Amino acid sequence: MEITSDFEPDVFHAISHRARREMLDQLTDDERSVSVIASHFSMSRPAVSQHLRILLDAGLVTERRHGRERRYRLVPEKLAPVRDWIAHYERFWDDHLQRLQNHLSKKNEK
Amino acid sequence: MINNTIQRELHLPQPREQVWEAIANRDALADWMYPNDFEPRVGHPFTFQVPPKPEVGFEGLIVRCEVLECEPPGWLMFSWSVAGPVENTRVSFRLESEGDGTRLLFEHAGFDLSQPGGKQAFGGAQYGWAMMLEKLTTVLSNQGNQP
Repeated sequence: MEITSDFEPDVFHAISHRARREMLDQLTDDERSVSVIASHFSMSRPAVSQHLRILLDAGLVTERRHGRERRYRLVPEKLAPVRDWIAHYERFWDDHLQRLQNHLSKKNEK
Repeated sequence: MINNTIQRELHLPQPREQVWEAIANRDALADWMYPNDFEPRVGHPFTFQVPPKPEVGFEGLIVRCEVLECEPPGWLMFSWSVAGPVENTRVSFRLESEGDGTRLLFEHAGFDLSQPGGKQAFGGAQYGWAMMLEKLTTVLSNQGNQP
């Protein structure tokens, strides 16, 4: 299958790891520092930073220096490709459930 | 945050037994879904054969399924596997009597956004599938205007 390149597979890759999805969840209400984020995980601080780096590269979070620490903020609109992808499936089922209703009303006319 | 479950609720005028016949019967499923070899038996593996649509560049595909739970006339769940994140997802129908009619609760759950290994560039596969779905839904909505 031919895959065009006007897509952002990085976003999908970025959310393909449970820890990174949990990090995004932590950032839904407010920005947080690395240390606060890391306190929720048993993995090492460098490992946490590495995950954050992947989220950063995908554009899902922004980073800013605040005194001696770095703070991360969610960029929710970057999740649009994921939402769109699920939306395709929603349309698919809406169409088919409509067909189910048509199927049932046909039966009734017999 | 990333909602990966699709839920729909339908209110149908037909009685529950009749709706059950439409979702748990091979010929009925072929009418509103695709050709298939479904049997209402837990553990039964089956496929939906989605036909190609060359005019929109859709090559067709096979959806691999297995009946996971089957409790006539109220509950059916089968797995739904295509590729990538759509592997072992779960499609379910719950039918509840509602007056003379039926309330149908539909769910498609388990889109796996956490591919094992995480390193697979499954975005590509996902996008390919999304394109196919898009073509397919376009095809369907064009058909939807026909009786």
